[in-house]
Amino acid sequence: MDSSNPVHARRPRLGVFKLASCDGCQLTLLDCEDELLAVAQAVDIVHFPEASSSLMPEGPFDVVLVEGSLSTSEQLEQLHRIRKNARALVTIGACATAGGIQALRNFADHAEFARAVYARPDMLPILAKSTPVAEHVSVDFELRGCPIDKRQLIELIAAMLVGRAPVIPNESVCMECKRRGAVCVVVTKNQACLGPVTHAGCGAICPAFARGCYGCFGPRERPNTRALAQHMRAQGLTGREIARSFRLFTAYAPEFREESERHES
Amino acid sequence: MAERLNSEHLDDLIALMRGDGYRVIGPTIRDEAIVYDELRSAADLPWGFTDQQGPGRYRLQRRPDRAAFGYVVGPHSWKRFLFPPREQLVRIRRGSDSPQWTAATDDGPGLALLGVRACELAAIAIQDRVFMGGPFVDGRYRVRRERCLIIAVNCTEAGELCFCDSMDTGPEVQGDYDLRMTELGTELVLDAGSARGRELLERLPSRPAEDSVADRAQAAIERCRRSMGRRLDTRDLPARLMGNLDHPRYQDVADRCLACGNCTSVCPTCFCFTISDTSGVTDGEAGRERSWDSCFGAEHSTIHGAQFRPDVRSRYQQWLTHKLATWTAQFGTSGCVGCGRCIAWCPVGIDLTVEASTIAAGAGDPVPLPPVQSYAPRAGDGLVPVPARVLEVHRETHDVVNLVLQAPAGYAPEHGQFNMLSLPAIGDVPMSISGSGDGVLEHTLRSVGNATRALAGLREGAVVGLRGPFGKPWPLEQAVGRHLVLIAGGIGLAPLRSAVRETVQRPKDFPNVRILYGTRSPDDIIYDRELLGWIQASHLRAHVTVDRGDRSWSGNIGVVTKLMRRKHTPRSGLYFLCGPEIMMRYALAELDRLGIPAEHIYLSLERNMKCAVGICGRCQYGPHFVCKDGPVFRYDQIASIFGKVGF
Ligand SMILES: Cc1cc2nc3c(=O)[nH]c(=O)nc-3n(C[C@H](O)[C@H](O)[C@H](O)COP(=O)(O)OP(=O)(O)OC[C@H]3O[C@@H](n4cnc5c(N)ncnc54)[C@H](O)[C@@H]3O)c2cc1C
Ligand code: SF4
Ligand code: SF4
Ligand code: SF4
Ligand code: SF4
Ligand code: FES
Repeated sequence: MDSSNPVHARRPRLGVFKLASCDGCQLTLLDCEDELLAVAQAVDIVHFPEASSSLMPEGPFDVVLVEGSLSTSEQLEQLHRIRKNARALVTIGACATAGGIQALRNFADHAEFARAVYARPDMLPILAKSTPVAEHVSVDFELRGCPIDKRQLIELIAAMLVGRAPVIPNESVCMECKRRGAVCVVVTKNQACLGPVTHAGCGAICPAFARGCYGCFGPRERPNTRALAQHMRAQGLTGREIARSFRLFTAYAPEFREESERHES
Repeated sequence: MAERLNSEHLDDLIALMRGDGYRVIGPTIRDEAIVYDELRSAADLPWGFTDQQGPGRYRLQRRPDRAAFGYVVGPHSWKRFLFPPREQLVRIRRGSDSPQWTAATDDGPGLALLGVRACELAAIAIQDRVFMGGPFVDGRYRVRRERCLIIAVNCTEAGELCFCDSMDTGPEVQGDYDLRMTELGTELVLDAGSARGRELLERLPSRPAEDSVADRAQAAIERCRRSMGRRLDTRDLPARLMGNLDHPRYQDVADRCLACGNCTSVCPTCFCFTISDTSGVTDGEAGRERSWDSCFGAEHSTIHGAQFRPDVRSRYQQWLTHKLATWTAQFGTSGCVGCGRCIAWCPVGIDLTVEASTIAAGAGDPVPLPPVQSYAPRAGDGLVPVPARVLEVHRETHDVVNLVLQAPAGYAPEHGQFNMLSLPAIGDVPMSISGSGDGVLEHTLRSVGNATRALAGLREGAVVGLRGPFGKPWPLEQAVGRHLVLIAGGIGLAPLRSAVRETVQRPKDFPNVRILYGTRSPDDIIYDRELLGWIQASHLRAHVTVDRGDRSWSGNIGVVTKLMRRKHTPRSGLYFLCGPEIMMRYALAELDRLGIPAEHIYLSLERNMKCAVGICGRCQYGPHFVCKDGPVFRYDQIASIFGKVGF
């Protein structure tokens, strides 16, 4: 869509949707003050309830950004409609890619929660589990994070506009930690850190502020969670503590889920 | 001639260098570690501190004295400054008709590196070979190196993880330094190693050191050498490691290793980087930048359709064998200087010396590595594309196009070489030269991903960025007067095409050429018209086979190896292979069965390439770089690793 490439005279049509989520990732887009105007010029924002009144949920879209997990049956229907009307579907954030913090209920009896909170739990259209988008429809790209990283979002849009593969490597947080010259808190302070098994993207914010990574971006490619957990035990963490550290924003991502389950008892 | 200087005059030294316009980098305390950062005065030095280290462990501690250099090495190395973690390589001007690529330069101030240890100086010398000793010189690295001032320091106390003595890199500073210091109590004993160093020394309030003082400095270094607890037995180590690739210890370490890449990042010699194009949301400027990469990441060894180091085991094996074995074949030295950083900064404390000793002690017979190669220097910045106009576009199949480009002036590639092709803000990809001559050159590309899709969508008149030609060609002249058999699979016919054309033009030299070509289906056959012409040439036979036929197809069905069995394959002939690796593996097994000696077989390999000039490390294939030692290899030179997981 760059002028030097095969011509796409019209601007790509973008839609932003929200399922079960806190809006934080959509806000990241609004937070791109410097670039937002450029984005609005480069793409045709057809549907973005959070930001504008131009609402055309039925599309069609060249790209949709989907925030949030599938928590109710209505959302599931909505998701299928979105997918049908979109050429490319990108999930943004931990909820959409891994079920989010609300997926913590997947590890417990959700019916019991519902009974405790609501007078008529049978009226709730709640699904038994909070699940990621990719469990239901095909996803073209997953943008990680809780919330997503502004620079990565801009890179995704910029890359999409010219047709390059976005420079969003699936490496460990340690790589970013080392590139920025932070000092490893595992080695100097015996802190627990999920950096080695977590997908890069945040720029290693936590280690740079002298605390271990919480794993907001979810598992990286080929995470050796077992070896890390073994090391956490050697560092003095209890099984419960290990389980809890894998069970935060991306608790329901398969690799983190399995590792936390190994230490549950 | 040694001089002595009171340590407090380090402040004068720093001020002098700053006054000369240098950015002074040296040890300072941050986040409970001694890191390298800009020094404004001697007050920034870690006076009275030391580091206590163990596998996966580093603690900053007070010393009883006020030594300025009373520690060993920390989480940073000088490579952070000479080869920064992220750096722009190329500036790109987009624009439809005339995109432009220009080299990004480093215009920063010269660096003065204060407190460079012996092992670190050895590491800098190793990176000098990587970035300045190959066919192309990395311009940005060279500028920084030429401008940089090195104030080295001898070690008088060894850390728990140091093993420089085993690696023959320390504790005494050797090689190219400007000034060299030994800290003795509150004094420094100094000597100059260059004119610039002498000139600095003359401006310092130092006085000549008596012999007894110089002797004391030497004795302190020797004490340090003797007290070094850690060793690595380096005798025949490369061959012993290469002979034990199947050692069970690799699985054991893979169960502990996080594949996090910390070891490669802290290692002062690791040089791998990735390259990507960048652009903003609006039109205009774009760029190409590099950033540190690691063989512990998946992308390092992924190409379209294959991942050569799929598991932690093979990634650890790449790290260990590269550092301590294959590096010697690539650069003539070990890739390890014995600084111990990878041991300290491995979050789980994996110890390279222990793993290497265990694996090298295995039962496998030593496998010697090829001798180190030297490369004729080539002019120019190999990383900056030049514009080339698309003259014609031919659609070969539903996903393959043939691009005819205007060749840059004086461009004379050899058969089997490749170019890097790029579009602004998209990035560049390796592409074999499928034809050349008369001021044009051709590329036949299959659209499989973003870059190839964009290239395949080009129209006549468009401009692409071109770097090259790169790599070793087919040894066509060796085939003169012999049987020549070309075995191709799919798009693998492209790198062979210009060689075929040459044989068509010189029938007397190549009286017996046979092409065995396999594709998925009749619709995937490329160069079909040209193939018909080849078939009509009397000295040339072309046989095509398809995996799946259709109603119109009356030719061969089945894999290429089936064809090989039916056709004449003389032992004295020369064999050129190109295609998917799995196809080549079967073809090689067949050739072996037919008794063809490995020295008569050449094959063209594919690996992930970023720089194409031998400095990004992405295309490493055991002791080789596919971009500069390949892509064409003689089979016997790679037989011991071909088809093995991890290479
Ligand atoms: C020496 C050499 C010669 C080649 N010659 C040809 C040819 O004549 N015709 C042809 O169609 N293809 C050829 N290829 C393969 C071609 O380079 C890849 O198909 C191309 O890089 C894919 O890039 P992409 O962005 O379209 O795909 P993606 O799959 O999106 O690739 C993303 C990135 O991965 C890397 N990558 C992916 N596949 C490869 C690969 N096979 N080799 C190296 N890096 C890769 C690239 O760096 C690329 O930027 C050759 C490869 C090599 C190494
Ligand atoms: S602090 Fe965490 S992210 Fe940083 S290098 Fe250490 S383990 Fe990796
Ligand atoms: S391999 Fe380890 S010990 Fe050797 S130079 Fe690299 S970091 Fe230092
Ligand atoms: S391939 Fe070699 S140089 Fe590159 S990161 Fe791995 S060990 Fe270091
Ligand atoms: S050896 Fe250690 S530092 Fe290196 S990748 Fe494995 S766990 Fe990370
Ligand atoms: S070393 Fe960079 S591609 Fe070969």
